[in-house]
Amino acid sequence: MTSLDGRHAQWKETGALVVSRHDFKTEGLWLSAVVPPKSILTFAKQLCDDGFTLLDVSTIETKEGFFVTYHFDSFQEPGRLALRVLLDPQKPQVPSLYPIYQGAEWHERESFDFFGVEFVDNPNLVPLLLPDDLQGPPPLRKDPKNLASLSLLGVFGKPEILDPQWADIINPPKEPKADA
Amino acid sequence: MSSLNFINPFGVRDDPGTVVGDFYTDNFERNARPGTVILNLGPQHPSTHGVLRVLAEMDGEYVVRAEPVLGYLHRMHEKMAEVKTPWQFIPNTGRVDYLHPISWNWAYAGAVEQLAGLTVPPRAEYLRVISCELNRISSHLLWWGAFVMDLGGVTPILYAFEERETINDILQIITGSRLTMSYFRFGGVSSDIDARFIKLTKDFIPYLRERLKMYTGLVTDNVILRRRVEGVGPMSVDLCQRYGATGPILRAAGLARDTRRDIPYGVYPKLEFPIPTGPSDDCFGRYMMRLKEIETSLTIIEQALAQLPSGPYMMEKAPKATFKLPKGETYFAVEGARGQVGVHIVSDGGKSPYRIKLRAPGFSNLSLFAEAAKGTLLADALAILGSLDLVIPEVDR
Amino acid sequence: MDLSLLSFVQIIVAVLLIIGLMVGNAVVMVYVERKVAGFIQRRPGPYEVGPIGTVQPICDSMKLLGKQLFVPANIDWILFFLAPVLAFFPVLLLFLPIPFGPYLTGLGVGDGILLILAFAGFGVLSNILAGWSSNNKYGLLGAARAVSQSVAYEIPMIMALLAVVFMSGSLNLSEIVAQQGSWPWQWNIVVQPLAFFIYLVSLVGETNRAPFDLPEAESELTAGFHTEYSGMGFALFFLSEYANMLLVSFVCATFFLGGYKGPFLDGFWWTFAKAYAVMFFIVWIRWTFPRVRFDQLLNINWKWLLPLSIINLWLTAIIMKIIS
Repeated sequence: MTSLDGRHAQWKETGALVVSRHDFKTEGLWLSAVVPPKSILTFAKQLCDDGFTLLDVSTIETKEGFFVTYHFDSFQEPGRLALRVLLDPQKPQVPSLYPIYQGAEWHERESFDFFGVEFVDNPNLVPLLLPDDLQGPPPLRKDPKNLASLSLLGVFGKPEILDPQWADIINPPKEPKADA
Repeated sequence: MSSLNFINPFGVRDDPGTVVGDFYTDNFERNARPGTVILNLGPQHPSTHGVLRVLAEMDGEYVVRAEPVLGYLHRMHEKMAEVKTPWQFIPNTGRVDYLHPISWNWAYAGAVEQLAGLTVPPRAEYLRVISCELNRISSHLLWWGAFVMDLGGVTPILYAFEERETINDILQIITGSRLTMSYFRFGGVSSDIDARFIKLTKDFIPYLRERLKMYTGLVTDNVILRRRVEGVGPMSVDLCQRYGATGPILRAAGLARDTRRDIPYGVYPKLEFPIPTGPSDDCFGRYMMRLKEIETSLTIIEQALAQLPSGPYMMEKAPKATFKLPKGETYFAVEGARGQVGVHIVSDGGKSPYRIKLRAPGFSNLSLFAEAAKGTLLADALAILGSLDLVIPEVDR
Repeated sequence: MDLSLLSFVQIIVAVLLIIGLMVGNAVVMVYVERKVAGFIQRRPGPYEVGPIGTVQPICDSMKLLGKQLFVPANIDWILFFLAPVLAFFPVLLLFLPIPFGPYLTGLGVGDGILLILAFAGFGVLSNILAGWSSNNKYGLLGAARAVSQSVAYEIPMIMALLAVVFMSGSLNLSEIVAQQGSWPWQWNIVVQPLAFFIYLVSLVGETNRAPFDLPEAESELTAGFHTEYSGMGFALFFLSEYANMLLVSFVCATFFLGGYKGPFLDGFWWTFAKAYAVMFFIVWIRWTFPRVRFDQLLNINWKWLLPLSIINLWLTAIIMKIIS
């Protein structure tokens, strides 16, 4: 439907935690939003109704937890958007997009393979690319000492922070070294 | 199976309990309807082109349900990207999709250039276009032969290979390899083209146009082929949207979406070429779509050769092997032969990228097979599978 | 029939000669098919072994003989080993009544064509047994396809042959040849073009050759009913396929193309030349056309060939009645 500003407003209304504008020339994205995991389906439904398709599901492991990025591309006009959720590092769980985008099943299974992220209500959450009898932790999980924090990765573009909790994540307060 | 099993001259023990399915068969069989047969196509099967495995629940000749099982060619490129430096990963990209390696070269090099803010000299941009389009033609030609082979016609693939060999010979001059090319560098390409390359390419364009006419008479207008592909496996725009299918599948369904035009990269905005949409959304539409794309690519190559500027083929201060990616995130997509190839890079400024996600178009395209194949005849299901133009290394990565 | 010692010896000699013919035919056809395929696909074909690759079939058969006889688990042993034998041996009998030359008939059976049509049904039996006994789902699907295809294509085939029988008033193959003349316009193909066409289509279906090779459709069922056969088991199926092709080609030559009669000098060379021309046609279309789908295959038969052949038979009967 809408222009980027309209989308921006719509996401704010729907309850996004952070909405960021990006520089398409360097970041390849127009707009992204961090949303609460519980309401990811609502956001995806809006995009689906406006003719967006799901490109991929890309997971990053960070100090704060698993940061899942859903990339969307429009079928009507050029526009690449991203929805992101931050999941608990101990028990990463997020509702599956399967009811809206059936193609999400495989992308989610891939993230399940590599990171152990559990997509609730995915109809067939079994290993997709990895063998079913693989031992050990998911292969793309990093050594805890190599984990970067989200603020270091520069994934937020020009953020508009709507949830106060996220202010600390995006602009971490300078803490004394001893605490870290 | 029969009570006559007791006669056993070779002394092999017949124990009905020894043959059981693996994890995926069990998982698939659990939801099977009574009275159906689970047919395991692959991983070694003549029409799965490599090592795709498809589990199909058969009711007689009809496919009730199908489920692709992946991972037989999984090489964990994404993990390799996290271990290697950006430079060291370039050859990997040529191995993701061996039929259109240059599109993956481009997606990766493009993403790195976008993140690091490198500018590519104009001549290199044109060289990129020429090599990418030549490679796209060779990929489509091979698909054409293989698809007709799926339908039982064994001869066209050898005709297609003749042209493909010519393209390989041409691309070998600049890339040095015939299959897994890694031609692109950050900020340019690895070598310049010479007079021989230009002459061979210019000779090849009218030659292929003539051959395409011959193929139309020889294969496309064949009545058996038409009956096998027309109306088989319709894939609507809605289906493509729900599964994220892009490329010729989507364009055959009638939506003119092409990354080369929609999110322009390289010098594509300077070139004039049509984005053909298919005559129908069935296998025949996808078949015609790819033949039309070969012609589009020929047009693009002609224009690019005519406009080719002089100058360096590599930017002046090209990154060295020790080059580090700056902090940040980027997503870069190009149009591959099978659809939108995307590379998502997240970097923390370290020696190697923090995370690289490769978006393979074949992966999304294959995911709709289960829905498209439901209720079709086995032969039709395999025609649909063939019309998706799968390259298994790309699907599995 | 006079079953004296002489005729007994004659049959033995004929059977031996026919075995030689079948094996020799397979050897020749393997080479011809590969060379023709190479020619059609613009590649050289076999050329390494012997002059222009002529020894290739011998090497092929040596390889087949030397191969391990792989036996899958949980098969039906009797049927599994019976099937290739059953595919091969009935074909032997079918060559007996064929008049290769004016005096060159294995067994002058009065109702020769009845014998051929009756025993031709054996071929499909071996396909079913092979598919069923090898405990393989591809084999089973291939067998199921083989049954419905053979049953379907036998009917128009018989109808087309019957039209010729109506005209000649005899089931004896020598008699049918004798009634045709030496020159092409005196052959049955001129008076029965429709029957010839129907026969030509159904002989491809009956011998399971592309584009009607559904029981062994490579891109769908890997190898269909003979998926699990290796070594000599496979070789026997292979032999019988070529023998069947040869048989239907001989019947075609006898019924429609004047048999051993030909311009200038009658003789067995004409039978062979005509039969191999038909064989070449079968090979040619195999390497040219894609495969039809199974429902299309049956539709061609039940909706087109069968009604056409019935009409053809009917018209032949009426015209014969009016003329006589």
